[in-house]
Amino acid sequence: MSVTGLGPAPSMPGDVDLVAQPEGRQGLLRALWHSANGRVGLVLAGVVVAAAIVASFGGTPYDPQFQNAAALLQHPTWSHPFGTDQFGRDILSLVLDGLGVSLEIACLAVAIAGVIGTIAGVVAGFLGRWTSAVIMRVTDMMFAIPAILLALIVVAALGAGWLNSAIAIGVGYIPIFVRVVRGPVLALRESGYVSAGRVLGFSRRRLLFRHILPNVSGILAVQTSLALAWSVLAEASLSFLGLGPPPPTASLGEMVSQAGSLAATAWWTLAFPSVAIIVAVIGFNLLGDGLRDAIDPRTRKR
Amino acid sequence: MVLTLFGVSIIVFLVLRLLPGNALTSSLGVSAGLLSHAQLVALDHYYGIGEPVVQQYVSWLHAILTGNLGVSLSSRTSVASLVGAALPVTFELAIAAMLLGLLIGVLFGVFGALRPGRVVDVSGQGVSVIGLGVPSFVIGTGIVTLLASVFQYFPSSESFASLASDPWLNIQQIFFPAFTLSLGIGAAIMRTTRASMLEVVGQNYVRTARGKGLSRHSVTWKHIFLNAFIPVLTMSGIQLGYLLGGTVIVEQIFVLPGLGRLLVESINGRDFPVVQSVTMIFAAGFVVVNMIVDVLYAVVDPRIRNR
Repeated sequence: MSVTGLGPAPSMPGDVDLVAQPEGRQGLLRALWHSANGRVGLVLAGVVVAAAIVASFGGTPYDPQFQNAAALLQHPTWSHPFGTDQFGRDILSLVLDGLGVSLEIACLAVAIAGVIGTIAGVVAGFLGRWTSAVIMRVTDMMFAIPAILLALIVVAALGAGWLNSAIAIGVGYIPIFVRVVRGPVLALRESGYVSAGRVLGFSRRRLLFRHILPNVSGILAVQTSLALAWSVLAEASLSFLGLGPPPPTASLGEMVSQAGSLAATAWWTLAFPSVAIIVAVIGFNLLGDGLRDAIDPRTRKR
Repeated sequence: MVLTLFGVSIIVFLVLRLLPGNALTSSLGVSAGLLSHAQLVALDHYYGIGEPVVQQYVSWLHAILTGNLGVSLSSRTSVASLVGAALPVTFELAIAAMLLGLLIGVLFGVFGALRPGRVVDVSGQGVSVIGLGVPSFVIGTGIVTLLASVFQYFPSSESFASLASDPWLNIQQIFFPAFTLSLGIGAAIMRTTRASMLEVVGQNYVRTARGKGLSRHSVTWKHIFLNAFIPVLTMSGIQLGYLLGGTVIVEQIFVLPGLGRLLVESINGRDFPVVQSVTMIFAAGFVVVNMIVDVLYAVVDPRIRNR
């Protein structure tokens, strides 16, 4: 790591020390566990993720799409803990499968929003005025369209489907990532250690990737968790409106929509998919809150 | 503001026109693949899709600004008349939901913050957990089911009545969807109000106001609440975006013939002129309300006014 041609490398502490990390990963987890929000969020989100992974590997008790004509609209029993729907499908299996699909879409959507939004936000914060002005203008305009509407028109343009849902939801969330990332980058650019790095002749790329990005990683983690909550909700909303992935792909929003006409006589068709959505949304939201508490010691005391 | 709306129109236009699968191929579906290149070009030309994008955009913008929203592809009526019929419904729903949300949020927030940890505060926190965590379509579906199965009450079974034609029926039809939406808004407003109130309650001037014997009412509303109101206003503005998105879903559940329902129908029917117009109206509404919020800052806080 010596700077060739410039004499001996300046005796600076290593990069790891430059990037101030008051607490290691252990500390962060512990702090997360110490905030009530973080603990509940971690457990709920953990349950949801575990269920989704189990379902993605085919670990549902029944084939979710298997229609058992001998067991239509059955009450919850030991063999069907969540009951069955109007086609005799096992609701537990459908819910697990739906959670899997929902999380896959949400993860892809958050990846899209996170990558594009973070790049745009960092560029807007780090580069010159013009680029920044243009990016922020576009962000403002995207903000003027409510996120779910933005997702709706993207679905309108692309057509309903698994990938299109993810793209639509991701696009809707991009402006939030841009705003959340830009502010801190703006502040970091003027901070002492980045100026020091600049004086030392570090390349822009190095400043960005080793000095600035690691310091917004906390904010990104918080925002990722909140974005996951929103994406699960948005995915369920889209499929509730009939604009999600078409059947036979299981989907929680569509289950709720179908259950609307059945719930008066068969409460379990509405209750369990709803609870799955609620647990996922609350779980990721609380996890995000908890991460924020854990990262920012000022809010931790409250 | 005009600039923002101008930009929004560009985004809406680009998203709907330029993404793969334009109006033409998506309305023809699979059969688009069977057309020869010459046929596609001819169709493109017929619908004006073959023109340069900029020219398409300019002619669309010109049409919008002159009040010509185009013709709906599915119902063959003018988009302006469709929108004109739907707009008042959504407007009424949004206003009702916002008022209810403010009522729930401010009341629970204020009285919760005055006595933290007591009954009002705790029940307020409970409501806010429901409002923030339970999606509006779940609440809405739940309410419809409950009304139908327990009370045998179907406010949406009759066709929608406007406030002018049948006020009583209209209020019944609007109340439940508005309530559904207001829980989410109210929860967010409540949290903000409570936190903001708690910061002000401990201030010296509040003690002074109490000390000089002002009535409790006066202290609470004039000295504490008014000073705690700015964040509440900001939050209300933010919630409006949520509200506009929420009307789309709630109108679907409660079968209200508003803009949201029109939007979903036109998306399903690939009726792009309608989708464009409705989205633009939603965005315009959002921008206008945010401007009103900015003006309200000055009304509430003289310091901002005099700056």
